[in-house]
Amino acid sequence: MGTEAVQFEQVTYRYPGAPSPALEGVTLSVLPGERLGVLGPNGGGKSTLLKLALGLLPVQQGRIGVFGLTPAEARGRGLIGYVAQRIDAELGFPLSVRQVVELAAGWRTPPWRRLGGQARARVDRALELTGASALADRPIGSLSGGQTQRAMIARALATDAKVLVLDEPLVGIDAAGQQQFAELLATVHRATGVTILIVSHDLRAIAAGCDRVACLARRLHSHVSPQGLTPRVLAELFSHDVAGLAGVGGLAGVHVHAHGPDEPCPEHGPTPGPVGLTVRGRGTAGGGTP
Amino acid sequence: MNLLRYFDSWATAELVLTALAAGACVVVMCSLLSVLVVLKRLAFIGQGVSHSAFGGIGVAAVIGAATGAAWAGQGGVVEFGVVVTFCIGAALGMASVGTAGGAGRSRPIEVDTGIGLFLVASMALGGLLVEAARALAQRLGHPVGARSWESILFGSILTAGWGDVLVAFGLLVLTVGVAWLARRPLLFWAFDETCAPAFGVPGTLMRTVLMVLLALATVTATKLAGVVLASALLVLPGATALKLSRRLWSVLALSVAVGVGGLVVGLAVSLQADLQPGPCIVLAMVAAFVAAGFWNRLGSGAAPPRSETA
Repeated sequence: MGTEAVQFEQVTYRYPGAPSPALEGVTLSVLPGERLGVLGPNGGGKSTLLKLALGLLPVQQGRIGVFGLTPAEARGRGLIGYVAQRIDAELGFPLSVRQVVELAAGWRTPPWRRLGGQARARVDRALELTGASALADRPIGSLSGGQTQRAMIARALATDAKVLVLDEPLVGIDAAGQQQFAELLATVHRATGVTILIVSHDLRAIAAGCDRVACLARRLHSHVSPQGLTPRVLAELFSHDVAGLAGVGGLAGVHVHAHGPDEPCPEHGPTPGPVGLTVRGRGTAGGGTP
Repeated sequence: MNLLRYFDSWATAELVLTALAAGACVVVMCSLLSVLVVLKRLAFIGQGVSHSAFGGIGVAAVIGAATGAAWAGQGGVVEFGVVVTFCIGAALGMASVGTAGGAGRSRPIEVDTGIGLFLVASMALGGLLVEAARALAQRLGHPVGARSWESILFGSILTAGWGDVLVAFGLLVLTVGVAWLARRPLLFWAFDETCAPAFGVPGTLMRTVLMVLLALATVTATKLAGVVLASALLVLPGATALKLSRRLWSVLALSVAVGVGGLVVGLAVSLQADLQPGPCIVLAMVAAFVAAGFWNRLGSGAAPPRSETA
C-alpha cells in the first residue's frame, strides 16, 4: 500500500440528484511508471473516475490514493498533470505557447518574484520533450489541433507531474495525428518514466500506447459472468456504444479475461474488485504476459 | 461654448479637470478588466451588473429621502455602499448561475435567462424606488435626494468633485493591485477554467475575485457613463485591443490607450458641441473599435483566430 501511483479501493460515486451511481465499487490500481488505459462506453463513468483521481469531486465512498496521498494533496504538490478531453481553453487569449506552459509551472510563484530558474528549466524541458520548442513563441490560438495538444501535454508535464492524466486524447485527431500522438507519448514515457492514465471509449487508441487496459462501465459488474468473457460478449455489453468499441473484435493480440467480485485476477494477482475486467494488450510495449 | 473657453476661469477649468481625472481612473480600471471581459465573454454579465446598479441607486435614494441627510443622498457614502453591495451581489449571483451546472448537473435556469431576469428586475425596482423616494422626500419635506433620470442612465462625469476623483483613484489602485497580485492564477484560470482547478488553481476564488473587481469597476463606470452605457467601457477597449494584437502586454497597453483616448476625445467633443459626455465617450470608443476592425481587415493587425476545429 502506498507504492501505487494511483489506487482506487471500492470507490462508489453518485452525482447529487442522480438516480444511480456513476461509479460503483471500483477497485483499480496503477503502478508507478505504468501506462494504463481505462476503456468504457460514453457515460460509463470514465470522466468521473478521472475527476475523483484529480480531487475535483469529493470521495463519497471508498478510498483513493495518489502516491499514498489524497487526490487533493497530490494536486496541491503538482503530482498530477491533466490534459482535458476537448480543449476548453479560451484559445483566443493573447498568450504564447511558452506563457501557457509557464502559467502551469509557475502560477504559485509569489507575485513579486519573477519565475524561478527551476520552473524555467521545467518549461524548457517540457517544451522540448513534446517537440513544442519551435512553437514556443507562437500565439496559442494560431496552432493546429495536434500542435495545441502538444502544448497542453507540455503544460501538464511542466508541473513536474508524476502522473499524466489524459481524457479522450484522440477525439478529433486524424489517423496520422493518432500515430504522432502515440509516438509523442512513448517519447515522454521513455524520458520521464511518468505514470500515464488514459481514458477513452476507443480501444484502438488505448491499445496503441498502454501496458494495461481496464474496462469500466457503471453497471458492468452486474452483467459480467466470471468465465467465458470474449471480445464478442464485451462488445455486447457495450452494445449502446458499439461504434466506439468496433476495434475490440478485430484487434489482434488483445486478450480479454474477467473475474468476479473479490476473486483474484488470474493474470494480475491480487487485485480483486467487482469491476474486475481486464483487457490485456499483448504485443504492446511492456505488455508481455507470463 | 467653445472648448478653450472652459479654461478662461478656474471654476470651469476645474470642472473639466476633475472630469478628466475621475474619468481617467475609471477608464483605466475598466480598460484593463475589459480584456478579460471580452476573452471570457462576460459582456452580458457586465451589462447585468451595471443595470443592477440602478436597483442600488433606488434603495439609496429611498434611504436618503427618508433620513434627509446629505451623506445618505445622491453621491453620498450610503449610496456608494449600497450600489457596490448590489453590484457585487449581482455579479456573484450571475456567476454562480453560470457555474451551477458543473458538478451537480442541475442548472436551475439558463445563464442568459438568469442575467436577463436580474437586469430587468433591478431596472424595474430601481425605477419604482427612485419615484417613491421623490414622493417620500416631498411628503417629509426633505430635499429631493434622488438623481435625475439622465444622470442615472447616461452618467454625470461633469458633476464629479475632487472627492469623486479620490474614490475613483482609490478603486483604481485597489483593482490594479489585486489584479497584479493574482495575475498568474487569475490568468491561468481565465485561460482554462476547466483544467486550472486540476492544477491546483482555486477556481471559485478566482471567479469571485474577477466578479468583485468587475462589480467595483462597473459601479465607478456608472458615474462616468451611466447605467446604460457603463458596460460599454468594459467591452470596447478590450475588444479593440484584441483586434490589434495577440501579445498580452501590448493588448493591455492598447486597451488602456483606447480607453483614455476615448475619454479625452469624447469629453472634448461633448464640451465643444454641448452634448452629454457619457454617450460621446462611448461613441468615440465605438469609432476606435470600427477603425481597428478596418485595420485588421487590411491585414496589418493580429492574426485571425484559428478556425474552430477542436
